[in-house]
Amino acid sequence: MSPRMSLRFTWPQRLRIPRRWMPYLFISPFFVLFAAFGLFPLLFSIVLSLNSWDAAAGLGAMQWVGLDNYLYALTRDDGLRASLFNTLWLAVVGCVPQHLVALPLAYYLHTAFRRWRNGVVGLYFLPFITSTVAVSLVFSALFSKDFGAINAALLGLHELPLLGALFPSTPIDWDQAENTRWMIAIVVFWRYVGWNTVLYLSAIQTLPRDLFEAARVDGVSERQTFLHLVLPQLRPMIFFAVTLAIIGSLQLFEEPFILTSGTGGSGQAGKTVAMHLYSVAFTDGDFGTASAIAWLLFLLIAAATWLNNRLLGRQR
Amino acid sequence: MSTLLPLHADPDRPARLGARWRPMPSARVIGHAIVLAGALLMFAPFYLMMVFATHTNAEILSVPPPLWFGDALGDNLALLLDRLPFFWRNLGWSFYVAGAVTVLNLLLCSLAGHAFALLDFPGRDRLFGLVLATMLLPGFLGMVPTVLTMAWLGWLNEHKALIVPGACGALGIFMMRQYIGSTVPRELVDAARLDGCGEFGIFWRIVLPLTLPALGTLGLITFIGSWNNFMGPLVVIRDMDLYTVPLALRALQGSGQTPWGALCAGAAVAVLPLLLMFVVASRRLIDGLTAGAVK
Amino acid sequence: MLLSCAAAGGARAAPARITVASYPDLDRALKLALPAFARRHPGVAVNVVTLSHKDHHTAMTTALAAGAALPDLIALDMDFLGKFVDSAGLEDLSCAPYLAGGQAARFPGYAWRAGVNRRGEIKALPVDTGPGALFYRHDLLARAGLLETDLTPSWRGFIEAGRTLRARTGAYLVAHAQDLKDIRIRAGLADGEGVFFDPQGRSQVQTARFRRAFELALQARDAGIDARVRAWSNEWSEGFRRGAIATQMMGCWLGGHLKRWIAPETAGLWRSAPLPEGAAAAWGGSFYAIPVHSQQKALAWDLLQLLALDRDQQVAAFRSLDAFPVLLSAQDDGFLSEPIDFLGGEAARLQWRDMARRIPAITIDRHDAVADEVVRNELDQVLLHRKGIDQALADARATVERRVRRRA
Repeated sequence: MSPRMSLRFTWPQRLRIPRRWMPYLFISPFFVLFAAFGLFPLLFSIVLSLNSWDAAAGLGAMQWVGLDNYLYALTRDDGLRASLFNTLWLAVVGCVPQHLVALPLAYYLHTAFRRWRNGVVGLYFLPFITSTVAVSLVFSALFSKDFGAINAALLGLHELPLLGALFPSTPIDWDQAENTRWMIAIVVFWRYVGWNTVLYLSAIQTLPRDLFEAARVDGVSERQTFLHLVLPQLRPMIFFAVTLAIIGSLQLFEEPFILTSGTGGSGQAGKTVAMHLYSVAFTDGDFGTASAIAWLLFLLIAAATWLNNRLLGRQR
Repeated sequence: MSTLLPLHADPDRPARLGARWRPMPSARVIGHAIVLAGALLMFAPFYLMMVFATHTNAEILSVPPPLWFGDALGDNLALLLDRLPFFWRNLGWSFYVAGAVTVLNLLLCSLAGHAFALLDFPGRDRLFGLVLATMLLPGFLGMVPTVLTMAWLGWLNEHKALIVPGACGALGIFMMRQYIGSTVPRELVDAARLDGCGEFGIFWRIVLPLTLPALGTLGLITFIGSWNNFMGPLVVIRDMDLYTVPLALRALQGSGQTPWGALCAGAAVAVLPLLLMFVVASRRLIDGLTAGAVK
Repeated sequence: MLLSCAAAGGARAAPARITVASYPDLDRALKLALPAFARRHPGVAVNVVTLSHKDHHTAMTTALAAGAALPDLIALDMDFLGKFVDSAGLEDLSCAPYLAGGQAARFPGYAWRAGVNRRGEIKALPVDTGPGALFYRHDLLARAGLLETDLTPSWRGFIEAGRTLRARTGAYLVAHAQDLKDIRIRAGLADGEGVFFDPQGRSQVQTARFRRAFELALQARDAGIDARVRAWSNEWSEGFRRGAIATQMMGCWLGGHLKRWIAPETAGLWRSAPLPEGAAAAWGGSFYAIPVHSQQKALAWDLLQLLALDRDQQVAAFRSLDAFPVLLSAQDDGFLSEPIDFLGGEAARLQWRDMARRIPAITIDRHDAVADEVVRNELDQVLLHRKGIDQALADARATVERRVRRRA
């Protein structure tokens, strides 16, 4: 029963807005801004996708081609197909481990780390706030074939008695096609695992303390508490984080771009769809096809988020 | 995961839910060790960046790269300021833009989140779907139309071109809706409505205080996102003294030799405010207001 | 009409201001010219806007596409120039009041030609260039009993020398087999021909020129003389420092880089030679253009003339910044005869000047970057996975034509 508090906060009579309209008023800033700054680019890119445009030549150089750009992207653009594979590969290998690690990590940090929690979380969050330019330099030093610390560590681990067989005996050339993908996946993992941990941790923070107390009193193990009590409660946050992860990984651009210096690595193994889009626009000079690819990507992401919504979304 | 030694359990009482009852204090040590090792791996590249900031180019690109601090920090900073004479001003602009965007987002997104989570109105789900859909749109094809829009508005080379379009982001709305939906008890809201409290009052007095952890997270994310954004400033800002930090740091890279030491020094300086933000925000969001913020 | 802007400048209350967009390190040459510009136009503020090399061209593409947010003078790199010369957004400098057509004879053909588009419009003027040179470690070659004359007369001799070098000293002759392909495809071109496309825009990758280039690269790889390191990577610079890589063919400006940061301890051990088998090529080159939307075209033109046509400025930039002058009259300065310590006292600049004079006036194409990328990938397939050369070239051509999709 809530105490009767004086919560009266009423607008002056003249300004009283009917309650019916309040929701629309609350959401109006977004739509107004969108109408002003989002709608035009959207329409522009739709129109652009139906044209052929060499951008540097100026606005007058657009030529109508109808659906030709879409047809080209879907049927003849091998680069798009390859980059789609790369993107999906990176989405799975770079992204899934982030959540598999972040969830238990967040739980562990919440329950087991009391005094140093802020510091440890801060360390995990550090990759997210470091500028990508500096990151690229550091990682190119770390992933250097003959002189990088990572190869040195891997070769050192190869010397271990039993586990050593798992590790390579010669230095890995991270510029080579398949290895480039692993390098990007590692960097993406490094960069975002802390971000997900922070999200999950902040969600765990809102869970009632009695939940944990009751479990402890009942003698439930940590693992059971985590799996059967905490995880279900985290579902909204997991849905949120996974949605962001899907959108983010399908739109992945900066990390692979910076790590491969914009080239996509040898064999284009590190080229994501977003990078392909950028290269079609700025290297091939074909903004029209780039727009078409962008819209195809949009459809893909929409489908993926819809699927995610069905699986993890709020049960109504 | 590790099994803790339960604090209040009766050893004779059968455990529920098939709990394993094994006293393993060392498990906690192992768990801590793994987490701390992970934290160190997270920290290592950042540490290297700080180290590189104190070395000359030749030292950085040597083999093996330096692992401890050198003495070239002063030189690097001098070179940085020589190439980027407006660097401190750029920092200020980054602060201004990121701060403004953050404050606006916190206010406007929580308003919208409140509406989507707590209010029932026709078209709500469809409108929310629309909000989500805008998050899916690809970024840099908007570059040319953005320039056109800003030129038409006369906002070219001004920071409001960076602040206003980003003042209410879909990500923030999504996040606040999730939080508000799952942490604000409907009974409280209904009671307040019965009391005759206006919707804005409910927002201001009930919802906002309850979602402070979410606001802390959103504020942090928004600030960092705005701070690191360079596509927007790239196309809209035309004077070096109005640059934001990422643009300025990238301007060090050229067709010749990039001054990596200076760049790392600049990046290290640029990351300190973000660290500060994080420390400030974490007090709210990680210490968690009160467990049981719900009741 | 445009000149009247400058004349009226004195009567205006607000000081005139021009904006120049550039990238490092070209902006340093620009800043070097500012005092001279200030003497001619006192009171005019020059706003230098620097962005990274790639960002700059992205931003300029966007600005030209939108017709807004443009500076008064745009720097353009040779690698990107092809995309901009067709732009209607850049002033045609052959028209009044610029009338730059008469200046063609003051520049080497290849540098001038790059700024002129197919319709004969002059869209950009060159301000520096990078004639190619073969930098080699004199001491490593000596240890293997080799001389410069073993490297330069023919490619076959070059590879043989590489084998000898590897056998006797363990050093690699080249950093990557792709370098050889890059030079070989530029060999034997006549004025007016293009590297990847002919003047009509037809792809050239399936010609004998490319086949020989691929064969040369494959021979080098099979002979074991390339170190398989990417240019500008850590391994690359470390290779020079340790003497693991004995030569590098690149623009003459590489000498400055080697001296300043790549391998300063190897001073005196390097020499410069012309490219093998009489090949003539340039690496890079910088240009400036004036956008149509500029409000300060007269001032921009004055600054452009100072950067491109003024002999003293060219020499000054050469002396202090190592930017090889593109103006022919600047190439006669006494500075070129001075010995270069890093190269063991060799007066290499004269050699570079000769190289610049031999480079044919090839045409650049908008899609050169696409073709370059495709050819590079195909050669990777040949070198790493033993793909057949004919198949690779056929695939390259198909890919290029598909990506370029010329519309009639």
